[in-house]
Amino acid sequence: MSDNNDGGGKKRGSVLIAGGGIGGMQAALDLGDSGFKVHMVQRDASIGGTMVKLDKTFPTGDCAMCMISPKMVEVGRHPNVNIISMAEIIDVGGVPGDFKVKIRQKARSVNPDLCTGCGACTRACPVRNVIDVPRPAAPPPLEAEMETALTEIVEAHDGDKAALITILQDVNEKFKYLPQEMLAHLAVRLGIPETHILSVATFYNAFSLIPVGRHIIELCSGTACHVKGAGRLLDRLREQLKVEAGQTTADQRFTLRTVNCIGCCALAPAMRVDGEVYGYVKVSELPAILKDHP
Amino acid sequence: MEPIKNLEELQSLRDRIVAGRDENQLLITVCAGTGCLSNGSAKVAAALKEELDAAGLKGRVELKTTGCHGFCERGPIVVVEPAGILYQAVGRKKLEKDVKEIVESLAEGAEPVERLFYKDPETKKSIRGYEEIPFYAKQKRVALRNNGIIDPTRIEDFIARGGYGALAKALQMTPEEIIATLKESTLRGRGGAGFLTGQKWEFCRRAEGFPKYIICNADEGDPGAFMDRSIMEGDPHSVIEGMLIGAYAIAGGQGPIQGYVYVRAEYPLAVQNLTTALKQAKEYGFLGENILGTDFSFDIKLNKGAGAFVCGEETALMASVEGRPGLPRTRPPFPANKGLFGKPSNINNVETFAAVPVIVDRGPDWFKSVGVDRNGGTKVFSLVGKVNNTGLVEVPMGTSIREVVFGIGGGIQGGKKFKAVQTGGPSGGCIPESLIDLPLTYEGLMEAGSIMGSGGMIVVDEETCMVDVARYFLKFVTEESCGKCVPCREGTKHMHEILERICAGEGKEGDIETLERLGKAIAATSLCGLGQTAPNPTLSTIKYFRDEYEAHIKDKRCPGGVCKALITYRIDPDACTGCGVCARNCPVEAISGEKKQPHQLDASKCVKCGACREKCKFGAVIID
Repeated sequence: MSDNNDGGGKKRGSVLIAGGGIGGMQAALDLGDSGFKVHMVQRDASIGGTMVKLDKTFPTGDCAMCMISPKMVEVGRHPNVNIISMAEIIDVGGVPGDFKVKIRQKARSVNPDLCTGCGACTRACPVRNVIDVPRPAAPPPLEAEMETALTEIVEAHDGDKAALITILQDVNEKFKYLPQEMLAHLAVRLGIPETHILSVATFYNAFSLIPVGRHIIELCSGTACHVKGAGRLLDRLREQLKVEAGQTTADQRFTLRTVNCIGCCALAPAMRVDGEVYGYVKVSELPAILKDHP
Repeated sequence: MEPIKNLEELQSLRDRIVAGRDENQLLITVCAGTGCLSNGSAKVAAALKEELDAAGLKGRVELKTTGCHGFCERGPIVVVEPAGILYQAVGRKKLEKDVKEIVESLAEGAEPVERLFYKDPETKKSIRGYEEIPFYAKQKRVALRNNGIIDPTRIEDFIARGGYGALAKALQMTPEEIIATLKESTLRGRGGAGFLTGQKWEFCRRAEGFPKYIICNADEGDPGAFMDRSIMEGDPHSVIEGMLIGAYAIAGGQGPIQGYVYVRAEYPLAVQNLTTALKQAKEYGFLGENILGTDFSFDIKLNKGAGAFVCGEETALMASVEGRPGLPRTRPPFPANKGLFGKPSNINNVETFAAVPVIVDRGPDWFKSVGVDRNGGTKVFSLVGKVNNTGLVEVPMGTSIREVVFGIGGGIQGGKKFKAVQTGGPSGGCIPESLIDLPLTYEGLMEAGSIMGSGGMIVVDEETCMVDVARYFLKFVTEESCGKCVPCREGTKHMHEILERICAGEGKEGDIETLERLGKAIAATSLCGLGQTAPNPTLSTIKYFRDEYEAHIKDKRCPGGVCKALITYRIDPDACTGCGVCARNCPVEAISGEKKQPHQLDASKCVKCGACREKCKFGAVIID
């Protein structure tokens, strides 16, 4: 407890929070409200962290901006919170209750106390990049195979951003999943935010962001298949492959998926392995079908 | 091929194609719909070709692959014309023998292959003719008029059957006349909601703003329904012709209009056949600039869906076409005024478009006379589940459920007892035996607590648990809810949790009432059709099968023998012959016994997978 606080004179001590993401901000607000002086150290020029880049949050699908922006404003003007942005912790010493922290404050060249964020300086600056507004870093270069494939696919659609879903389908068809490093490049090429691509990629069932196995089992879970025992087929497959629906076996041999209806209702219960349809499948036939796909 | 420039050219082309064909030409057609392909029809077609060549019949017998005949249960289907003989399940067991005998039967004076005829399960009589099989005899094929007859990859086949004739006729009418014809015919949206198609077109015609859009909703997401898939696979040009007529009725003489077809990616063959058909239609000048020499221009783009059920909802579908996540939005503004890319748009389902050319061709009065009051025409149902003849059936509106399930479907499999039919997919409900004489109309089904939907008709028997069916549909909805509005996202999840509990034997007093209350609230407050109709399967099963819910909650018993937590398997010592098949197929070695002695099942090891029961030939494995 090194400092006297200024939060009413009754409580002692100040707190340092490393990182101004949603977790750090909430902690700062809670502590600040209960009377602690809070120093928030943030590496970037602005607080917000990863959440400000998201469209929606798991599991409720709530809008990320709607949750985080009021908090950002609150942190920014909380009398007990002192934001030290563009700074990094370089050393922590002392003992619990009495820490000494060394912080490197990077050169800002703009007086934060006076800056209102009006943006006039960026517009007036004759040299680009001197005034730094946070922007996404350029994605790391792609492997040659992905690079060529992406170029081909994007060119086939004339770089049209309205064709995003079709482009993703083409990538998915070629690689069987959507490699995330490719999506970062796709965002640059189509001139749309990566968050938008991710919101599309995670919305549709046909896309996977993780690699899939050599064989894809698609068990139909349409109504006709369900009443004819598709549930028992799923149980047996889960047991035998030791994975849940949507997962891939440890040896990368099978990916097990359920699909809503493959339209082969007259052959119920049905499943597809690598696109080939099996009709009237019985639980006892499953081991043989799996064996055919090494 | 030079584009066709006017009516005379189209007529003379048709005459040429028809004249080049001989009515007595020996013709073998092999069904190449998804159902038959899964049963191995591609191999059958290849073997037939080889056998015909070997027999020196090349050129004398025509071999053709067609779209779906609808009788998927008995596939692969092979039809020999002009005699009209239908062979079923060809090559399922003995490919070479079947093919050889079929080719031999083509010789003059030879007898057809009787062992491949369809056998009536009741009378055990073999039936030779296509038209005489009860499954077909009681149907009326309008939307499926060309399915199984033409080769979907050959536009000549379609033109020979009068294809694009309705387009030619429509282009001589005014758009207002076409809309009046459609309204008069009482054609209603076959996607499920049943809105009058002519009126929908009229709204869009009156709306301001260009280009206008006309969209074919081929995102057939209802589980247990595949009629749109079959039409697109077997007769894609009918859909294109319907869209052309629609486009002309909406924007003809006004301004530009663009078409889109939004197909499920789960239907690869439909995508392939539609792509081919679109290309051919362009070559022949049915799509493109100045169609048939008029000043009307129109083109169609094909978009593939990416596996989201909610994209069947019109506003979500349009968001998806624009390359965004398929989230529905509030209406108004309705798509007719502000739809795709903010312009006036019209969406119809595949089957609706496929019916349009027939109405223009044969007139609204004929179409009306097929159905009943305010429900003109026919409807295709996918009759599946525990019925003997599963497949696609097309019947006049107003036909009774009994006629479809027993007359065409041939009753319940294994002589079991009929319990209910589920119509309308996750938005529909279950109709019990007491209402089996209900005529199939939009209003009739609505009153019974279900909906017409896109036409899925799943028959369930006494061995189906209705609580499990309700749970199944809610699980579906919770997974497919887009998450935009709270009642649908959270409400259905809670309903699903309650049903999971009931199925696990942990139901409580008051659960049924909670389900009813939640269901009504969700239906009243959800944003789009998905949420508004999501409680239907649960509410209708509670209405008609409350006793089953009570059995689960109070007696901890599943009358259907489905809910795993509430059943046990055992072996009936009197019926068991000790053959040992069950023990060999048990994945957890729960069954033991001496050879030729009744076996025992150790319930503590049993994982209730059911492998023993499906393998036992003597019905000795019993569910308690």
